[in-house]
Amino acid sequence: MSLKRNFFAGVDVGSLAAKAVILEDGKVFATGLVPSGFDSVESGLNALNLALETAGLKKEDLTYIVGTGYGRVSAPYANKAVTEITCHAKGANFLHPTVRTIIDMGGQDCKAIRIDEDGAVVDFAMNDKCAAGTGRFLEVMAGVFKVKLEDLGALSLSATELVPMSSTCTVFAESETISLVARGEKPANILNGIHHAIANRISGLFARVGITSDVFFSGGVAKNNGMKTAIEEALKVTIVKPEIDPQLIGALGAAVLARNFSKKEGLWS
Amino acid sequence: MANTDLYEYPPELREEFEATEAIQFRDGSSATAADVWHFMTEIAPKRYPFAYTQKKYAGVRLSRDIHLPSAIKNHYLLLTMNDRITKSRENGAPVIFVQGGQSVDPYYAAGGIALRPASVGLWARGRHEGLGLNEEVVRQHKQKEKAYHAISFEACQTAGYENIQEGGLPIDMVAPFTCLRCSDISYGVEAHRHGPNKAVKLMNIDYPMRHQADKKWAVEYFAQNLRRLTNEIGKLAGRDVTDDDLSKEIRLHNEGRRLAIETAELWWSADLPPTNGVDRRSLYQMGGMEVHGDPSASLTVLRESHAYIKERVKKGIKAEGVVDKPIRLFVCGSCVFPNDFRIEEAGAIIVGQDNHWSDISTLVEEDGDPYQNLAHAILSYPYEQSVELRAAWTIEQLKKSRADGVLFLYQWGCNTQSAIARMLCDTIKRDTGIPTMIIEQHEGGSEQSEQLLNRVNAFIEML
Repeated sequence: MSLKRNFFAGVDVGSLAAKAVILEDGKVFATGLVPSGFDSVESGLNALNLALETAGLKKEDLTYIVGTGYGRVSAPYANKAVTEITCHAKGANFLHPTVRTIIDMGGQDCKAIRIDEDGAVVDFAMNDKCAAGTGRFLEVMAGVFKVKLEDLGALSLSATELVPMSSTCTVFAESETISLVARGEKPANILNGIHHAIANRISGLFARVGITSDVFFSGGVAKNNGMKTAIEEALKVTIVKPEIDPQLIGALGAAVLARNFSKKEGLWS
Repeated sequence: MANTDLYEYPPELREEFEATEAIQFRDGSSATAADVWHFMTEIAPKRYPFAYTQKKYAGVRLSRDIHLPSAIKNHYLLLTMNDRITKSRENGAPVIFVQGGQSVDPYYAAGGIALRPASVGLWARGRHEGLGLNEEVVRQHKQKEKAYHAISFEACQTAGYENIQEGGLPIDMVAPFTCLRCSDISYGVEAHRHGPNKAVKLMNIDYPMRHQADKKWAVEYFAQNLRRLTNEIGKLAGRDVTDDDLSKEIRLHNEGRRLAIETAELWWSADLPPTNGVDRRSLYQMGGMEVHGDPSASLTVLRESHAYIKERVKKGIKAEGVVDKPIRLFVCGSCVFPNDFRIEEAGAIIVGQDNHWSDISTLVEEDGDPYQNLAHAILSYPYEQSVELRAAWTIEQLKKSRADGVLFLYQWGCNTQSAIARMLCDTIKRDTGIPTMIIEQHEGGSEQSEQLLNRVNAFIEML
């Protein structure tokens, strides 16, 4: 019997960030997260190389790689490509087997995913044309308030009241926000309104696929506690506390699938 | 400038292909397999290079199932649309713009040529030669933008109207059935009433809506409309149209419909897919006798293809590029179709669709008054019934085709299918447990967007 160690990698190239996770023996061994550049092949490789460097491994040490995210179509380093919907399901199930519903808010889209006890997707829905509920929308809002993206959530949670936001169109919300600031509303209260408006908007996705506990929040926006709180209020649920950076869940799921595929293909036993 | 990196049919295929049957046309002429081979290997690559693109996901590219003669002959007929329609029109056959998803028996019975919106688009495409893939896509987009100006930017499918309005295509008459399947026929008809090119005659064939096939008044009323239609086309063609003309036409079209049904049943029964998704769709479509603008030509290709499919199914021959046990998808909705090449790469295949299949699979009674029989059949189209009845028929097709999942696609701006999609999918899911997915599309292009394909691929993975 071979004593060779087996490492599996998942690489998730999204619109704003590229993420990589290396898995060994059912445990997260190393991770890498870099901003996405113009070249999605290079972005994916940068994330993977960062994870390899952290792990002290070379690419040749990896048994199998699965690519996911919008960059998966141009991932020559990967053995297989899988959509991020399937990967988020696998990743959340790997960390928390009791999770049945996932809210994934990434750079350019938002997904409601319902899964079974094996982490298989049962149903899903995505935002179609509207950018509300995406990292890109929040990026625009951070620009309006001249604060860092990662500080938006905390600022929103410091609100003393909620200023209603009538538009969730990225362009119109920006002009509405500017006019609210001009009227003297406090930035924290406006942001509180924005977070709740987005949470209400994405609730519609769950009307289609349903919500079953436990609920998991993944993607880059999941790092925003203000959004987490707003979603919990809108959907009347409690979101499971993630064990790792929620932005890495897609890459983690891809690594889990890399492990499964390579076993099925007889690359290890 | 045209693409230089073009697909070429393998020269060693020539002998095998030239031994296949000739295509018989409605005017009595024919194209031998050698004629087809010559056109497809020598002439068409220069006139229509976009079809020879090597881009593997390009929706317009030639089928690579080269041992299936119908694949090559179908492309031949599509690429010669302009030559053939122009010639027929010059010989006195009026060209009539019709609704999608309707049968065309009465138009041909009266000596006309009936073209649905997509076929009008193909005719227009044939008038622009030497375009590479991107150039062809740009041309289509430009035409669509013009149509948005003429009709409404909220209109979804605008194919055809812009060509008629501009006078770019010599259409003689606009005469659709006014069934509710498409909100844009109303947009188009309205635009035509107010547009600059009023010289083109407009005639609506009034369709009594929903579950009227067994009501005597409705059948008689629609039969009168059909008689009015054939009389008007007859005037344009310079001939009197008899009941016998329509009876003969119904028999001819019924043969196509029967062959398509038999071909579909063979295809669906096979353990291994005998063709890829694109060729399957072409074969089923030929049963509608409209797609090539010449029912006789479609029929000769369909007859020959039926024998090939039978042989492939019997011998367990699988189409090239298709996986052994693909996920089987059934597509519902009008006007939009997901990219077969991407779907097959993801390990699935499209096994059928409800849209045109509704009219193709509806046979017309051959004994008795042909107008009454045709009216009864047309009013029975499952796609035009209430959602409950349409769902029941769709479920029957899902069982026959052994579908694993249903994709309901419609164009942004479609005010009909968008309203039906949710209820239809919920009914299918409730009664069969088959997973469904609804996608609204608003895009052009040949390869479809990552947004759309991401959803389709995730759905396939889910199945």
